[in-house]
Amino acid sequence: MGKVIVVTSGKGGVGKTTSTANLGTALALLGKSVVLVDADVGLRNLDIVMGLESRVVYTSMDVIEKQCELNKALVRDRRVDGLMLLAASQKNNKDDMQPEQMKAICDKLRTTYDFTLVDSPAGIERGFRNASAGADEAIVVTTPDVSAIRDADRIIGLLQNVEIEPINLVINRFSPQLVGNGSMMDQADVLDILNIDLIGVVPEDSAVITSTNRGIPLVYEDGSPGAQAYMRIARRLTGQRIPIPDLEQKGLFSNILNWFTKKR
Amino acid sequence: MNRSLTGATVQIDLKSPTLNDEEIDYLRSQLRENYDLIVRGVELGDDSASPPIAAAPTTHTISQTTEAPTTRDGEPSRIVPCTIRSGQMEEFPQGSLIIYGDVNSGGEVRAGGDIVVLGTLRGNACAGTNGRLSAVIIAMDLAALQLQIGNCVNRSATDQKPPGYPEIARIGPEDVIVIEKFVKF
Ligand SMILES: Nc1ncnc2c1ncn2[C@@H]1O[C@H](COP(=O)(O)OP(=O)(O)O)[C@@H](O)[C@H]1O
Ligand SMILES: [Mg+2]
Repeated sequence: MGKVIVVTSGKGGVGKTTSTANLGTALALLGKSVVLVDADVGLRNLDIVMGLESRVVYTSMDVIEKQCELNKALVRDRRVDGLMLLAASQKNNKDDMQPEQMKAICDKLRTTYDFTLVDSPAGIERGFRNASAGADEAIVVTTPDVSAIRDADRIIGLLQNVEIEPINLVINRFSPQLVGNGSMMDQADVLDILNIDLIGVVPEDSAVITSTNRGIPLVYEDGSPGAQAYMRIARRLTGQRIPIPDLEQKGLFSNILNWFTKKR
Repeated sequence: MNRSLTGATVQIDLKSPTLNDEEIDYLRSQLRENYDLIVRGVELGDDSASPPIAAAPTTHTISQTTEAPTTRDGEPSRIVPCTIRSGQMEEFPQGSLIIYGDVNSGGEVRAGGDIVVLGTLRGNACAGTNGRLSAVIIAMDLAALQLQIGNCVNRSATDQKPPGYPEIARIGPEDVIVIEKFVKF
């Protein structure tokens, strides 16, 4: 029996879709069977990020409306074996789907795939409820800024209400330089507020943007820091114990500087 | 509980005369079993003892209605065993609230009496909603941008980090909320 993990955040644009695409690809590269579910009905883009836009024929809405079998609606990835995508309908909106319908789909996928990753839309309303309805676990993505963190906190409260456990945190777009000069929160500050387990830190990486535009997930770019971070998170998801490297460049000088600028 | 206390002998000053022998025995056995602490003696306070907060203002009768309580005597309290996250709200109009966790930005706590946060208070706290103007807000780290006690509102002027020690907010002279280092009740 596999796991259904919802990837969510509250705030938009923090990297849910990027994380879903890369973690899914990374898990498949590690030999796991994976299906990615785009739950952003009406604003789908996981298919674009995966470079599978041209292959999408059916969507989860067609499965719900019994226009096609679930298996037939799954799109096979072009590059790696064992990776599938269930696209969202672009012409419907989030209220056209019921949480129970999404749960039924996840329940079926769980029996066949090691990992089902559900890419949640932003917000705390119906779209989020649909995305989390069938989830066993959650990955909350945040960037290290106060508004994203407050929204993540809100989402964590809602996930805890429905007893989704564990809830793991990904800090995305982390910039050691900005932390070094005191203008970005560091890991400890974020964890102090959100108080859930950290599963990885993804640095700000310009390769993310080019990979998004090319429809080739970043994890194929071996040397890029973002790719390495996603590979490590995927390994942790499979149960491997890999320490989280300290991305913060903490020389003595910046420590002293920090002490003067941040504490008083 | 600090593990380094294991095996130590402690004196407990309950400052309240309301425990009977049975309850004291229970406390004694619990401390023994769970923390390996030996209770050597129990000192019970009496009603004439000074009120928990000597600094409780007495000059605020003007704005008080006749029913508004002036002391926390007889006020019940509620313990919240977890962090209050953004969008969550905990309200206890009957008495005081004790939070075993943080109150995060976007979260809210409202109590008829006092509010005690055994973590970081970042969200909104409103104490003394029952009109008791001696109500206080105490936090291990008081990082809230806004506090309210009764009708008095305090907005912090800066976004300075909390000083790293517990602080207490209460209504001081001229009906403004003052924040001080919290030492003890
Ligand atoms: N680590 C990163 N470094 C640089 N850009 C990133 C990173 N993560 C995400 N982005 C960019 O941020 C934008 C929003 O990402 P996306 O995954 O679509 O967010 P969401 O699904 O949460 O709305 C995209 O343009 C993406 O390329
Ligand atoms: Mg998205």
